[in-house]
Amino acid sequence: MIVRLLLAALAAGLIAGMAMTPAQYVKTIPLIMQAEAYEGGGHDHGVVETTPSSTDAESDVAQGADAPAAHDHDAHDHGDESMFGLGRLGDTVVANLVAGAGFALMLAAVALIAGIEFPSGRDGLMRGLLLGAGAWFCVQLAPSFGLPPAVPGFPHADLGDRQGWWMITVALSALGLWLLALRPEWIARALGIALIAAPHVWGAPVPEDLTSDVPAYLASAYAAASLATTLFFWLLLGGLLGHILSRVPEEQRA
Amino acid sequence: MAAKTHTLSLTDRISARTVAGLMALVIGSILVFGVGLFNSQALHDAAHDTRHSYGFPCH
Repeated sequence: MIVRLLLAALAAGLIAGMAMTPAQYVKTIPLIMQAEAYEGGGHDHGVVETTPSSTDAESDVAQGADAPAAHDHDAHDHGDESMFGLGRLGDTVVANLVAGAGFALMLAAVALIAGIEFPSGRDGLMRGLLLGAGAWFCVQLAPSFGLPPAVPGFPHADLGDRQGWWMITVALSALGLWLLALRPEWIARALGIALIAAPHVWGAPVPEDLTSDVPAYLASAYAAASLATTLFFWLLLGGLLGHILSRVPEEQRA
Repeated sequence: MAAKTHTLSLTDRISARTVAGLMALVIGSILVFGVGLFNSQALHDAAHDTRHSYGFPCH
């Protein structure tokens, strides 16, 4: 019955992932495209500008391992080459489906391991929505305190540092939220709050030079749009997951 | 005998749930890591708009 559970999670993830592309085209992707017009215009991460060509792209990949910060923006042309030959929209559709499936499996895994049951009917749906809201807090809101969702062309610190901080923050927030919400002991709750606060006390990697050509309006509109769009995604995913998992019969839920 | 069988099936239930959870966690992590974090130019370009929209650290 393991397969049924995985398929149930996958179904919820693919539906939510499918809905994500139109949701992104409402606000976030138009803002990304607007920001790209400012990207690489003058000071691009303090790296020497290069013209977009296949040689540059290759050397960029070769350097990527040693110096992720030196990776140049102009080398990625979204229109010309697409991984699946589907163009920019097609790539985004595929990436959103994969992301939806991945997040759904991880959310289902958390529910299974934490022992969260989904009773049939309204209760299952409500628990799913709560689970989705919790995941939004851990994956979107908590990391955004330190690393606000950024448009292309924005100043940034070293990529590896930011990814490390991001992953640690998501993991600690999830652990902290579980302790805070699902453990009765007050000491566990206090520890939960400490875990959620810890990465912010430590501090996210911040770039040394904060100047940018991208207008501040675009950046703030983008951060709000990204958080709103992902809230929509996580509530949809959580609700679907709760609803679908509640319909997997108890004896088959293993 | 009956008690033993019951205990066994109970352990099976718990372990099947945990196994399903761990499998989902591993597969899900691989997918999310590939879309959001893996440092390959081709993957980055394909998932570019998705990465930015989800607020993954990008570039």
